[in-house]
Amino acid sequence: MVSEFRAAFALISILAWLLLTGHATPSDIECLKAIKSSFKDPNNYLASWIFDNSSICKFTGIECWHQDDNKVINIRLSGFGLKGEFPLGIAGCASMTGLDLSGNSIHGNIPSNISKLMTYITSLDLSSNQFSGEIPADLANCSYLNVLKLDNNRLAGHIPPQIGLLNRLRTFSVAKNQLTGRIPIFRNISFPAGSYAGNPGLCGKPLPAC
Amino acid sequence: MLFTNCFFHISMLTFQLWVAFRQVSGNAEGDALYALKSNLGDPYNVLQSWDPTLVNPCTWYHVTCNFENQVARLDIGDAGLSGQLVPQLGELRHLQYLEMYNNSISGGIPREVGKLKKLVSLDLYVNRLSGPIPDTLGRLHTLRFLRLNNNNFSGHIPMSLTTINTLQLLDLSNNQLTGPIPVNGSFKYFTPISFANNPLDPLPASPT
Repeated sequence: MVSEFRAAFALISILAWLLLTGHATPSDIECLKAIKSSFKDPNNYLASWIFDNSSICKFTGIECWHQDDNKVINIRLSGFGLKGEFPLGIAGCASMTGLDLSGNSIHGNIPSNISKLMTYITSLDLSSNQFSGEIPADLANCSYLNVLKLDNNRLAGHIPPQIGLLNRLRTFSVAKNQLTGRIPIFRNISFPAGSYAGNPGLCGKPLPAC
Repeated sequence: MLFTNCFFHISMLTFQLWVAFRQVSGNAEGDALYALKSNLGDPYNVLQSWDPTLVNPCTWYHVTCNFENQVARLDIGDAGLSGQLVPQLGELRHLQYLEMYNNSISGGIPREVGKLKKLVSLDLYVNRLSGPIPDTLGRLHTLRFLRLNNNNFSGHIPMSLTTINTLQLLDLSNNQLTGPIPVNGSFKYFTPISFANNPLDPLPASPT
């Protein structure tokens, strides 16, 4: 009798806790499923990503906000040898603030609506991949960005001047791409020449004038 | 002869007093934890192993010590505990992880928690804690995880928290906090997610 009461109490507590601490937990699971299906994973780094109703918080490369709350805060898949394009399903990870896909073989464009896919991103590292096309101006709407690393890709065109509006940015690199045009002016910070090196036609401070 | 006899007795007495004193002071952390136990309701007897007559608390369940037998972790989350925290928590000077989430603990965070200079993780989320977030928490300069969400904390977010440069994860959501959201120092790294569901002043809109 007592143990049944305890079991019921425990179950109700767990449900109450999940209701209070989780939000949109089903879509975080959908987000990770989308990432896994977006990429070829020849080195099997995502082997621990098994979707069987247990917690996603112990998946390789995944960090949650709280113990087993299925609410992703950081995704770090650097150097996993992943091949494919940017996983649009990542939008399901509505509470994600950190994404590191550096050092993989991801090709194609950086999504033009990126601020809708990751509204609260503070650290975005897409460096050392094969991203092509332009740097989307919509990145300027990722207003919480502190770290933006796009170096060592095949990005072309101009750096959108609106990037200069990101007032929390403290680390920024577009080195080793195919970029041309004027370097944006940031209000409260300036980045060293190394942030822009290895491009065919960038100009303006800290590089020589246009 | 009488002199050496006296000298011997006095040295033995001194030695025994020194040994007894060492045992008592080596138990200061055990005393602090026992004060906590005495102030908590523990219907599932999670703290049953906490025996203050032992020389140190390092064999107590849910207590983890470092190599010098100093308390480094306290893991009593999900334990059905009620009651209140105690100022003696500040005596656990080598504590790195204070995990008391998902209980029914009420009352405030003692200001003395600001004395835990080695603290890496302070997890009091999902409880019934109330009162202000003490500004003394700004002294925790090795803190990486601060999760106080889902309680009844009120008052302002202390500006001193923005001086904690090691802070990686902040969750103050689902409380009754008021006033401005700091955006300087380490708080540049935190988004509305960390502050959701509080009657805080809205962040100014970003320039477009």
